[in-house]
Amino acid sequence: MRVTLRYLVLPLALTAAAGVAQANSDVERLTANPKNWAMQAGDMYNQRYSKLGQINAGNVNKLQVAWTFSTGVLRGHEGSPLVIGDTMYLHSPFPNRVFAIDLNTNKIKWKYTPKQDPAVIPQMCCDTVNRGLAYAEGKVFLQQADSTLVAFDANSGKVLWSVKNGDPSVGAVNTNAPHVFKDKVITGISGGEWGVRGYVAAYNINTGDLVWKGYSTGPDDEMLIDPGTTTTWMDGRVQPVGEDSSLKTWKEDLWKIGGGTTWGWYSYDKALNLMYYGTGNPSTWNPAQRPGDNKWSMSVWARDVDTGKVKWVYQMTPYDEWDFDGINEMILADIPVKGKMTKALVHFDRNGFGYTLDRTNGALLVAEKYDPKVNWATHVDMKSGRPQVVSKYSTAQNGPDVNTKGVCPAALGSKDEQPAAYSPKTRLFYVPTNHVCMDYEPFAVEYTAGQPYVGATLSMYPPPGEKHMGNFIAWDAGTGKIVWSKPEKFSVWSGALATAGDVIFYGTLEGYLKAVDNKGNELWKFKTPSGIIGNVFTYEHKGKQYVGVFSGIGGWAGIGMAAGLEKDTDGLGAVGGYKELNQYTELGGSLTVFALGN
Amino acid sequence: MSGRRILVAVFAVIATLQAGADESAGSNLYTVVDGYKVDPATMKGFRAWRAAACDRCHGANQEGLVGPSLINSLKVLSKEEFVKTVTEGRLDKGMVSFKTSKIVMDNLDNLYAYLKGRSDGAITRAKVEELKP
Repeated sequence: MRVTLRYLVLPLALTAAAGVAQANSDVERLTANPKNWAMQAGDMYNQRYSKLGQINAGNVNKLQVAWTFSTGVLRGHEGSPLVIGDTMYLHSPFPNRVFAIDLNTNKIKWKYTPKQDPAVIPQMCCDTVNRGLAYAEGKVFLQQADSTLVAFDANSGKVLWSVKNGDPSVGAVNTNAPHVFKDKVITGISGGEWGVRGYVAAYNINTGDLVWKGYSTGPDDEMLIDPGTTTTWMDGRVQPVGEDSSLKTWKEDLWKIGGGTTWGWYSYDKALNLMYYGTGNPSTWNPAQRPGDNKWSMSVWARDVDTGKVKWVYQMTPYDEWDFDGINEMILADIPVKGKMTKALVHFDRNGFGYTLDRTNGALLVAEKYDPKVNWATHVDMKSGRPQVVSKYSTAQNGPDVNTKGVCPAALGSKDEQPAAYSPKTRLFYVPTNHVCMDYEPFAVEYTAGQPYVGATLSMYPPPGEKHMGNFIAWDAGTGKIVWSKPEKFSVWSGALATAGDVIFYGTLEGYLKAVDNKGNELWKFKTPSGIIGNVFTYEHKGKQYVGVFSGIGGWAGIGMAAGLEKDTDGLGAVGGYKELNQYTELGGSLTVFALGN
Repeated sequence: MSGRRILVAVFAVIATLQAGADESAGSNLYTVVDGYKVDPATMKGFRAWRAAACDRCHGANQEGLVGPSLINSLKVLSKEEFVKTVTEGRLDKGMVSFKTSKIVMDNLDNLYAYLKGRSDGAITRAKVEELKP
């Protein structure tokens, strides 16, 4: 009986898989082999963990530069290259150059520079960054700044198809990496400071045809929310969201220009067929203009990859008053949470809380501060899931044209886009963090399509009485506790990498690539040509393990450097705390690759 | 009138106009007391500066970030160059065209006055208040 059933079911499953899940099996196969670095995070769980262990805690101090490569582009270099077999694929900030390098010869196999309207440059909020490429089934995918999504033949560099994902004339541009899950390449949109209404969109990897598109705000059908079956965390349990869950939380039709953009790192659980990502801040930054919870900005989302239908959604920061943009990565891990093995989703939000949710249904399990200086809320009420806001730090309660001082964290969050790593060996998360506070003064602003729509003046600085602006921490997501914390002079704005060799890597804004052991002891460091805001990656080629990282200062933390910071007359300013960076580094995009010396 | 005399006359007119403009630059462009209390027109210039989010690129104190320091730029840019840059943008360098921004276009003179005051060092802090009569 059992055998019969198996024979009946298997061919059906295979038939379905042949058409639908090919790319998934290709990417799955590639990521299962640790010699490749086939996705931006190394895998679909966003773990940024490598099983390679040739470089380990005992020999990492013998790392040497193996080779370097200049992208020929200045400005901030985020993300990382991909490695598939003998080929490395690299990207650059605007103009979004792409290079395929033969690792056997170090020769450039092909390169591509898109032609883009320079009008998108001023529309890129915080430097002209790009977070990298995706790969599947012999194709490379680039999400250009001007919102064009392009597929290349991985061998020849020939453009196979391209599709316009947004309207740059209203500020809808792209910085995120595309992600391939199953037979779809999924991308988001930027422009929360231009009143862009956020969405994620899934395109067929073979044709570029739009398969589904789900908005962050607005009517249920446009969000792909089913009021009866889509759930959220309310009153201490998972319940259906009900009708018009977004529309009810906005004044008039402000959701149309209400932000909730989607420029982070997405993850995918094959068993649940769900993809996870976060939505950003509501527009404008002046909360007085948009009363209500502004759903579903600032939320964690779980969508069915095939249909885009929302399984569950959880809002972290209802009615944002600080630009705590909720786009940071969702890391999937099976870990004990308060003693019980759990299919967890772990997320370090800009708002300073580290969240652990049950990824099967969105139940809130843990929400604790991952920087002790976080002061805007006392705690997250576990029943309602809402942060308990401290009046003194409420820019809405203090009102427009009042400078609310000493809010921690600053708008760039206790962590921004720089992704954390998870080691299944230690069951700990290694998190690059910002340790920065701010003054925030909102003011009235009118919306004009294609013009900035910000509405607040900010200044940022280290927490009172402290001099360092970053920490690299180890976090126990099952209990919500910091295990260790290693101070850094500046924000740690580089994606971390955990490895089976019991070494964890991260970069610093001064330009050091650092290796620490599982306890946070520094084992090795090397000064790369420019400040690091890229993500560390590793691969194996011809029996040798390599570790690499982009350097090239820029991004939000490094914007002061990105075009020559002048004398800061008043000692404040958005990069007040960061101005010292120019004593350490200069612009310049390059890749540095390391290996053990012979 | 010969051609030559027309030219001389035109130059004379231009010279007079320029002299007039120079005179107003110091005395009439803006009024500031205690370094931060400014006349209503300059106050409108500050509001336009803020609403257009100029600080995101030029710094909260005009000191320069991705964009150049306006403290320095306003020392070398003519009013005409200023107006052209703000209106048309410098797209390849990342400067927005504010042509479609009503608040900026309606307040070009006021914005210039505010930034010139900052550049001159007469307005000593970025955030100003309206001078009470």
